[in-house]
Amino acid sequence: MKKLSALIPALLFMTVFTVNAAWEQPTLGYTLSPLSKPVEAPNFKLEDMDENEYDFSEYRGKVVLLNFWATWCPPCKREMPSMERVYQKYQGDNFTVIGVNQMEDGDRIFSFTGSLDTRPTFDILLDSESKVSQAYEVRGLPTTYLIDKQGKIRYRAIGGREFDHQEVEKIIQSLMNE
Amino acid sequence: MKKSTHIFIFIASLLPVSIQAAEVSVYKNEQSGLLTWTSEDNGFSIELIQLLPDFVYAVYSKHDFPKPEIDRINTYCVFGSIIKNTSPQQISYKVSDWTYVDTAGNEHPVKTKSQWLEEWRKAGIKFSWTLLPDTGTFEVGDWQQGFTTIKLARDTEFDLNYTWTLDGIAHKGTLKNLRCAPEHIKQP
Repeated sequence: MKKLSALIPALLFMTVFTVNAAWEQPTLGYTLSPLSKPVEAPNFKLEDMDENEYDFSEYRGKVVLLNFWATWCPPCKREMPSMERVYQKYQGDNFTVIGVNQMEDGDRIFSFTGSLDTRPTFDILLDSESKVSQAYEVRGLPTTYLIDKQGKIRYRAIGGREFDHQEVEKIIQSLMNE
Repeated sequence: MKKSTHIFIFIASLLPVSIQAAEVSVYKNEQSGLLTWTSEDNGFSIELIQLLPDFVYAVYSKHDFPKPEIDRINTYCVFGSIIKNTSPQQISYKVSDWTYVDTAGNEHPVKTKSQWLEEWRKAGIKFSWTLLPDTGTFEVGDWQQGFTTIKLARDTEFDLNYTWTLDGIAHKGTLKNLRCAPEHIKQP
């Protein structure tokens, strides 16, 4: 009964979401904006869905695509397959992707990722109080940062993108080769 | 005319404010009858999408909002809004500078996300997403979406006055004859 009552808002959401399908119209671009002055990426410690703790400082030495997202955010869902593809392509070459989920629990995220055609295999961390997104001055979702091997934020994208577009891959490769 | 008035007019004419007619398009969802308005001008694209109260209810239920708070949100007419930078330069916007004009000609400020969050915090709600951010500085290709709330009844008309800057130059726009969504989808 408890499970059923938990499902009702989700089913209602899906029904009326279909009615408001125009919400999903914008196409995804591929431009990342370089920061004129690269800044130090704030450090953080967060847990994943299995309650394993991750310390962001341990990613130093890798180029990191840091993506702030949520399951209810349509462009977040749309850009996720391209993040997985670029992760699969470069993960062995000092590159990784981290998805920082905003204010949702592991069950909801697990259910969401299971419903995707391409299930993400990169690290998904739970920013349950949005403290990390505040530290990164994220105002809306999705927002993505590209962080170099020295831990500096070099590029930013507000809104959904196709991250496996060749122009984005060129930027990632250039940062990996620095 | 006094010399000081001449100087004022001269200076005012140099201020970097432009008012131009924007291209506005209206899209009707044939299935639901709901309307979407899109306007693009000087690098700034704004899209407002009618949302049904049921949709708004479902969104906030999903985030465990207390029912009285959802009912209060639904006393506003809620639009999905998408802001895009369509230019090769930086744009910025500030919702606190935006207003709407009701059918009686009265102008009101648009309620900002910060104002909502302050009320939500008092109601014990920590959730801080879904609403269009108060401010945005968008580089090439950036865009953002979120709810915009207008304190008007269902099915009523209004005009939205909005402002933005493109590469530091201020611009204004108006979306005329916007309409709040009805309570339910109208059957054909």
